[in-house]
Amino acid sequence: MAGVTLRGVRKAFGPLQTIHGVDLDVGDGEFVVFVGPSGCGKSTLLRMIAGLEDVTAGEIAIGGRVVNDVEPADRGTAMVFQSYALYPHMTVGQNLSFGLRMNGNPTADTERRVAEAARILQIGPLLDRRPKALSGGQRQRVAIGRAIVREPEVFLFDEPLSNLDAELRVQMRVEIARLHGELGTTMVYVTHDQTEAMTLADRIVVLRAGRVEQVGRPLDLYDDPVNQFVAGFIGSPRMNFLAAESLGGGRVRLTGQGGVEIALPVGRGLAAGQKAVLGIRPEHFEAAGQGDCDLALVVDVAEHLGATSYLYANTKAGEPVVVQAGAARSAQAGGRVAVSIPAGRAYLFDPDGLRLA
Amino acid sequence: MRRRTGTAYGFLAPYLLIFAVFWVWPIVYSFWLSFLATRQLPWTFRPAMTWGRLAVDPAFVNALKNTLLILVVQVPIMIALATVLAVLLNSSLLRARGLMRFAFFAPVVVGEVAYAAVFRLMFTADRGIVNKVLEAAGLPSVDWFSNPTAAMALIIMAVTWRWAGYNAIIILSGLQSIPDDVYEAATLDRVTPLRQFLFITLPLLRPVILFCVVLSVIGTMQLFTEPFLITNRGGPGGATETLGLFLYRQGFTVLNFGYASAVAYTIAALAVVISLLNLWLGRERA
Repeated sequence: MAGVTLRGVRKAFGPLQTIHGVDLDVGDGEFVVFVGPSGCGKSTLLRMIAGLEDVTAGEIAIGGRVVNDVEPADRGTAMVFQSYALYPHMTVGQNLSFGLRMNGNPTADTERRVAEAARILQIGPLLDRRPKALSGGQRQRVAIGRAIVREPEVFLFDEPLSNLDAELRVQMRVEIARLHGELGTTMVYVTHDQTEAMTLADRIVVLRAGRVEQVGRPLDLYDDPVNQFVAGFIGSPRMNFLAAESLGGGRVRLTGQGGVEIALPVGRGLAAGQKAVLGIRPEHFEAAGQGDCDLALVVDVAEHLGATSYLYANTKAGEPVVVQAGAARSAQAGGRVAVSIPAGRAYLFDPDGLRLA
Repeated sequence: MRRRTGTAYGFLAPYLLIFAVFWVWPIVYSFWLSFLATRQLPWTFRPAMTWGRLAVDPAFVNALKNTLLILVVQVPIMIALATVLAVLLNSSLLRARGLMRFAFFAPVVVGEVAYAAVFRLMFTADRGIVNKVLEAAGLPSVDWFSNPTAAMALIIMAVTWRWAGYNAIIILSGLQSIPDDVYEAATLDRVTPLRQFLFITLPLLRPVILFCVVLSVIGTMQLFTEPFLITNRGGPGGATETLGLFLYRQGFTVLNFGYASAVAYTIAALAVVISLLNLWLGRERA
């Protein structure tokens, strides 16, 4: 068992720097998820931990041992690839045992480990099949099984579920959570899907353009994002952002709303006339008149999912706003609705995206 | 729908006509010819003079033996060489990759006569560069064109030089279809590069290599250019005469079309049988 420590980790491909100094401590047995948009460097970071990419600068330690110059196979990690990377010409059983066999592991022990992995992942009946004859979900199980038989100290997952259909993804997500509970091993997991991050992680690391934006427990990121990027990335549907302007004295005017004003205690530090961005999550709107600032919206698309409805609407100024409306089953495209922003639920960001309140 | 089909056939007609006249008809007609005694007019139906003669003609048996010898020695050497070449051409360490790939493919593009002439020059007994190099290395020089074994070796070398790069390019395309992450997974499994090649690359290349083997078998069965141009029409004394050359002699030197047709059908049948044998040996075992 081991934690993972990153100190000032940088990665450059020639003159192009993609990771700009990452510091991170992953605790022993912790499930940490790297999340961020495409190209943010999350996979590169994971591959650096695995040893598949060189570290340009900084230090990576696993279990307290610096592994910058340690061979990938000797780092005590096992990786699950997005494309599964199964050996196509081998049966499931051979796929699981290949690494052990190649390294002269005793046959009895290899068989024990394969049987154990097959039991954990319930792939016993598939052991004689080739990957070609498996469904996507089954292949993913085999890929995870191949990691399990190595009995690693750290599991590394590189977008393992992104090739699966939605239903299977939910199912495998639960499986991976169960696996973590059963094995208790440190896991580092990369995804661009914030739902996966929210549901799996003990802690989430939000990355953007090779920098860590915020690290924290899922609900802490949801409740308390440090900037507009994290606020927009965590939560689904994403947070609404409305152009605003300080009037001084803790009052803010929504510029796109023809001068609707809202009193935000946090806006006090802003000088009059300073631009800002107001953030409000779709699920935090209240009925018109019940909050602190009413918005008139024109519904573009209404999605009625039964338990809840999402209204994709526009403000007068054309700012898109998504409203989660539990009881608004009657709302239709083209219709008008009025909602209200409760000041206590609103976030305020400066024009650079930094959180003011 | 009918009219559209008609229009399509209209456009295809020129091709179909040429195909029928120059491909289908000769194939059918030569089959008929292979039963006729064509040494004197009028041609008569005498299979004993064609198919019957195959079994007892020492010249045919000699050509068959030579061809099979080349097949058994040259094809494995060339395919092995092509596989190694493909791996080298695929290496990320290689500089000027495009140029190298073209260089190895180039022999196929070079005119046959020019290439044969250069080979003849290089292997000339007293002034050829090959013998000069052998002598410089303290080895005896070889009489490439008058020693039967040496002539055979020369043919094998020439054919290998000409086609190894071509096969390497085909195998290279197979190599590139193997995803990188399979190798990454193997690296994480502590599998050495050599073992990755033996246990991952080679098994995954099997269909491509098999394809190359079948192509090479067909090519070797028809081998004509090298023995005709380099070793002087199958010389010395028929030591490098191949089935293709024998067919040519019977058909176009002696003008015995019936017998030549029977030889042609034999070559085709052998190519099919040997290829099927290869496919069967290399089949995917469940």
